Amino acid sequence: MATLDEYKPPPLPAPFTNTNPPPILLTQGAEAHLYKTTSLNPSTPAALKIRPTKPYRHPILDRRLTRSRIVQEARCLVKLVKEGVSVPAVLALDCEGQGGEEASWGGAWLLMEWIEGPVVRVVLEQWEAWMKAQIHLEETVRISEEDRVRGLMRRMGETIGALHKAGVVHGDLTTSNLMLQPFEGESEANDSVSMEGKIILIDFGLASQSAQDEDRAVDLYVMERAIGSTHPRTEPLFDSLLQGYRESYKGAVSALKRLEDVRLRGRKRSMLG
Amino acid sequence: MIAIGMEGSANKVGIGIMLHPTDGSEPRVLANVRHTYNSPPGEGFLPKDTARHHRAWVVKLVKQALREARISADEVDCICYTKGPGMGAPLQSIAIAARMLSLLWGKELVGVNHCVGHIEMGRLITGATNPVVLYVSGGNTQVIAYSSQRYRIFGETLDIAVGNCLDRFARTLHIPNDPAPGYNIEQLAKKGKRLVDLPYVVKGMDCSFSGILAAVDALASTLGLAGAEQAQNDDDDDADTKNDKPTRADLCFSLQETIYSMLVEITERAMAHVGSKQVLIVGGVGSNVRLQEMMGIMARDRGGSVFATDERFCIDNGIMIAQAGMLAFREGLTTPLKESTCTQRFRTDEVFVKWRQD
Amino acid sequence: MAQLETLALPHLPSSLPVHVALYCDVQNSAFLKQQLLEGNADFEYALVDASMVLTRAHATAAIFRAVNDYMNGRLMSRNVHSEIVFSLSPANNIADSFRKFGIADATKDLLVVRVSVSPEITHESVAAHLATAIQGTSVPFDDETLSEVSDITKIKKAYKLGALPSPSSKTECNGTADNDAKRRLELSLVGAIALRGS
Repeated sequence: MATLDEYKPPPLPAPFTNTNPPPILLTQGAEAHLYKTTSLNPSTPAALKIRPTKPYRHPILDRRLTRSRIVQEARCLVKLVKEGVSVPAVLALDCEGQGGEEASWGGAWLLMEWIEGPVVRVVLEQWEAWMKAQIHLEETVRISEEDRVRGLMRRMGETIGALHKAGVVHGDLTTSNLMLQPFEGESEANDSVSMEGKIILIDFGLASQSAQDEDRAVDLYVMERAIGSTHPRTEPLFDSLLQGYRESYKGAVSALKRLEDVRLRGRKRSMLG
Repeated sequence: MIAIGMEGSANKVGIGIMLHPTDGSEPRVLANVRHTYNSPPGEGFLPKDTARHHRAWVVKLVKQALREARISADEVDCICYTKGPGMGAPLQSIAIAARMLSLLWGKELVGVNHCVGHIEMGRLITGATNPVVLYVSGGNTQVIAYSSQRYRIFGETLDIAVGNCLDRFARTLHIPNDPAPGYNIEQLAKKGKRLVDLPYVVKGMDCSFSGILAAVDALASTLGLAGAEQAQNDDDDDADTKNDKPTRADLCFSLQETIYSMLVEITERAMAHVGSKQVLIVGGVGSNVRLQEMMGIMARDRGGSVFATDERFCIDNGIMIAQAGMLAFREGLTTPLKESTCTQRFRTDEVFVKWRQD
Repeated sequence: MAQLETLALPHLPSSLPVHVALYCDVQNSAFLKQQLLEGNADFEYALVDASMVLTRAHATAAIFRAVNDYMNGRLMSRNVHSEIVFSLSPANNIADSFRKFGIADATKDLLVVRVSVSPEITHESVAAHLATAIQGTSVPFDDETLSEVSDITKIKKAYKLGALPSPSSKTECNGTADNDAKRRLELSLVGAIALRGS
């Protein structure tokens, strides 16, 4: 019954069949495949997100959904670039599918600015591993190390604040969807893991335009839970993220108040039979 | 070892008898009997009437099951019953019957989570080792994956269950409840061709069905397709093909296409999240062939496969309660008489899955 | 000889090179516009008012969009060249896009684009024709030259981006804040081009 063949990604849509060298597949999510390729300038890299057609669903429904989702994602990104929030810019978009109304490919693609640097999840994992490896950790070192992480958390909070201020909620805030783009040139001298750089928000596949406290609070709650489950040593420093968030825009106070309610009930209600 | 399982959380009362051979060989189903309470077309089943039905049938079914299994009450090691979730009155009627048998036969009780029952039975029947589980029925809609001795809920409905959505639309159209409203919608949907635009509500790994139900109900009444009179024409193959208006069959078709797409989508997201290639569909709605087909295509495209069971095990039954109860009983988990209550709310992730170490 | 640049845009087939030239002090814009209106096939170019172009990336985003739509059989206007002008616009009104981004009688700075939609259209043939057809000074198609001709106020107005901070249009004051402002404006224009009609 089970056929566990090696997974083969679906063929690339036009025009990326022409691309030389071909785009490199980085990740395969549920909805989309992410590739690295070049932008419209051959010397600059770009990220290509492809939402393949989903053969399991009715072709009309498939096109409707694929189209509206990639457009929603692109609209959020364009809006955020305009507002000066750190996200990858949209370079090109194709949401019409290919080959007529009900033809073979109902997918869509989005070409975005390439962001260099590790995701925050990796930075924190490396830091936690480094901390664990220190057999004898002096108190002053521990404090200065934690201060560096607090600084990182604060900047994360500020970036999330800027996002919310612009009227967008992310929908899937985890440390995997925040990147640390190193500053060009010199870096700080440190044995431990570098925390220098600019925080960039990525993967807006579940984002939407909203200015409601509830949606903002759920964004923060999901982030809080993600840090709690993946970065145990970092969890006690989470209040720095909220501090950075609080100071980043006016509406932050009421969103944080709502966060307390969301924490009490959890993201979900109790289940009725 | 032998377990008897007693299920009655909704409109079915089921008794199953399961043998776990002491030599460690494959567990065997010795008996699996069931009786369903059906309300007339256009009506749902009410808790009071359903409980009365269960009380009237439970003794008959236990006797029948023992006869089919060719065992006597002495050979039973434990009595497993559904503790929840489900409808209050029907749950109580079966819990009382289980307590009565426990006292009468002097056997241990094991309270079982209904959802965990579905999962364990599905795993046993299909051989799926560590699948993402889609549990879809009249009362539940959950996407579940196992992790460190819990069945964790990754996604679920934010309002009504998918089966409830189907049941209630069947009522709007006065489609018969026998053998099941969902089954009859599925048959009518086969004649549908036109896809009508309905709301599609997925939020991450969660979904919502109440808006879709309201929209399709409104469409049915606007188009004059609701009610008992219209139901007369459902057997006429040419009904309504002359005009451009959507038919009853088109509405059933569109409803199925929309809600099953939502279910496949959240299941796929959970698979990507936990890195699993297996899907197991359990619960009454899981017997829908179109849902199984769509899930199969999705799983195939991910290099995986789908596991589904037939109506004997998909639809609520006693054997799944016996199976999950036996796994707990073998780990020494029993329910003292004083604690042998039942509850309408009982989340899948509350159960400590002591019998899995992976 | 004209400084005609032939671009092989990434992702587009090598059979569809794009020829681009930038001119200043064009003297015969009225004539060129007339050829377009009359549908003179020899003058099938995208003739863009270069003051409406911020950077190379801005122009290539519109060219890429137009050629991709051309390959998918989804042109909204007459041909791929008119589509390039239309693609610069953030709105769906074709006539309006020509008024804002296309050549006008008084246009002085002109961006000329031709796509090799048939094998006869080559770098040489386009260069030869442009040498006789356009009365103006050929200048390099690069960001430095564009920064001298582009009218940032007009561009921001056409894209409804008035709230964005303005980079100073002159090249000499090249502070970081200025670079950031220009980059942000450029990416906003590129985004608007990608989103048009969605």
